[in-house]
Amino acid sequence: MEKRHPLGSFALYTTVIVTCALLLFPIYWMVVTALQPASNLRSYPPQFWPEDPQWNVFADLLEKHPFVLWFSNTILIAFATMILSLAVSILAAYALSRFRLRGGQGLGLFILTSKMLPATLLIIPLFAIFRSTGLVGSLWSVVIAQATLIVPFCTWMLKGYFDTMPPELEQAALVDGCSPLGTIFRIVLPVAAPGLAATALYAFVVSWSDFLFGRTFLTTNDESWTLQMGIASLKGEFVTEWNVIMAGSIMASIPIIIVYLFLERFLVGGLASGSEK
Amino acid sequence: MATVRFDHIKKSYGAVEAIRDFNLDIEDGEFCVFVGPSGCGKSTALKMLAGLEATSGGSISIGGRDVTELGPGKRDIAMVFQNYALYPHMSVRKNIGFGLKMHGMAAREINAKVEEAARVLELTPYLDRKPRALSGGQRQRVALGRAIVREPKAFLMDEPLSNLDAKLRVQTRSEIVKLQKRLGVTTIYVTHDQTEALTMADKIVVMKGGVIQQVGSAEELFHAPNNIFVAGFIGSPGMNFFHGTVEPGADGPVTRFGDAEIALPERCAAMAGRDMIFGIRPEHLRVSDTGPAVGLTLVENLGTEKILHFHTPAQNTLELDSTALAGEEERDAQTMLIRVIDDRRYSDSEQLNLSFPVDKIHVFDPDTNEVVG
Repeated sequence: MEKRHPLGSFALYTTVIVTCALLLFPIYWMVVTALQPASNLRSYPPQFWPEDPQWNVFADLLEKHPFVLWFSNTILIAFATMILSLAVSILAAYALSRFRLRGGQGLGLFILTSKMLPATLLIIPLFAIFRSTGLVGSLWSVVIAQATLIVPFCTWMLKGYFDTMPPELEQAALVDGCSPLGTIFRIVLPVAAPGLAATALYAFVVSWSDFLFGRTFLTTNDESWTLQMGIASLKGEFVTEWNVIMAGSIMASIPIIIVYLFLERFLVGGLASGSEK
Repeated sequence: MATVRFDHIKKSYGAVEAIRDFNLDIEDGEFCVFVGPSGCGKSTALKMLAGLEATSGGSISIGGRDVTELGPGKRDIAMVFQNYALYPHMSVRKNIGFGLKMHGMAAREINAKVEEAARVLELTPYLDRKPRALSGGQRQRVALGRAIVREPKAFLMDEPLSNLDAKLRVQTRSEIVKLQKRLGVTTIYVTHDQTEALTMADKIVVMKGGVIQQVGSAEELFHAPNNIFVAGFIGSPGMNFFHGTVEPGADGPVTRFGDAEIALPERCAAMAGRDMIFGIRPEHLRVSDTGPAVGLTLVENLGTEKILHFHTPAQNTLELDSTALAGEEERDAQTMLIRVIDDRRYSDSEQLNLSFPVDKIHVFDPDTNEVVG
């Protein structure tokens, strides 16, 4: 390999460090804010690390607010949305990728148009539907609403992935005596694991960060509140405990990191290499 | 082991007919090769036999049983694909045993069969590796292993050697033939490479535009082609063609090649006055002291073997449409070739006299492109 010019290395490292600093600063500031009393926030000069970190803010959060309930509601919604979106989009993407459907291409593009609509536009018709079906206040309302937005994008992500897989893999499985559905589960899905992981991660993250749908459909039922709604409710009319809000935000970020670490090994591409040639 | 029969098989995609009235009988244990240029329908025919493509008409039977409406898994066949199609997430062992598992065989029995197949194909040390950790040749053998372990009624192979390098291809070619002879399983093999077809097959099916052009052994196709297409496609390089008028000569029918006369087979006497297409293989043209004189335009030296190029005389030049000679697109219709194996040195622009052995001249009807006599 050609040796890099020292100035090139310097430029490269500087860019990497500046980019990381820009990306990580809000997280760092979230931690710093969480660990000092709200009264210190506006002190000047600002403290870049609190002299006396207030670790008990996390215990306060759990004691004074139904944080565990919000957390478990959000986990339920995120997993249900992820599973529902994947189940629908795997079948849709496979059909779009493999079958010569009449108007299939147009249908594929049509699916994508619902992704182009802003969520605020869908919220009134969705509310009307959920009210008539009695789903307002139920976690399912958010799951279904999220899935309507996530499925089109997941379908396209997976279709792109299935398109790269040689159809001979499935043909070989069919000749080997596998049923068409068995072929999807035994061959297509394991081979598409990196694509599935990326799609699952996308669905989880989008669903986890939802505020709009939760705020609209779940407000009437305290038992169904999500983390985002709960954290937003911590902002008071006269006093806002920013340290508590930030502590909640830190804890809300942890599941995303865990899910990413778990799926990361599947995200590494190249599993399909070796099937051919 | 079984016979295979295609009975009036048709395949069309909308208005496009990919296969037209395909009839073929393959005997038990026979090695049958479908050969033809790309788009001739050979892979489609194989996929219909495998059940991976639906037929648009006609019936297919394997071992006397009509399988036209059966799915691929119920036809008791095994297939080797051009890109091998190994399951990348499974070890070699699981790849080979997958078909047996799908057919409900007990794990212990599967293992014994996989070990045996791996031993035959020298894959034992690689059984627990994933396909990506194997070389091209090893992957090819895993694909073969997946086929033989099933002990199917027929092997279907879709250009299985085209991804191997030239040397490995020749070696694997003979290994496949030996394996097929030993197992005695009816094999249908698709290739666009006529050398593979000639060296491997008991029966060769030459196809063009979805229609069978000729079925026969390598000998038959080489020495008695049915039409101009088969004559041009089979052989490397393919047959030379030129046209001329049949004239009565002192010792039998003749035609003019440039300024000289060449003798034609006796059966041409009946065609006197007619304009015909004549063919002669490059290896049958001989350099001699008498006969038509030609000027070499190019000498391709392959060691002892040489391919000499010369222009077809203007009045003998053929105007064949490109479809008649498909597979030989790169061949200039105005050039004829001589294949010589000797130690003589030839140079470009050298003048040579040629002899046309009368028994090696093929005669074709210019209207139908079919052989005459």
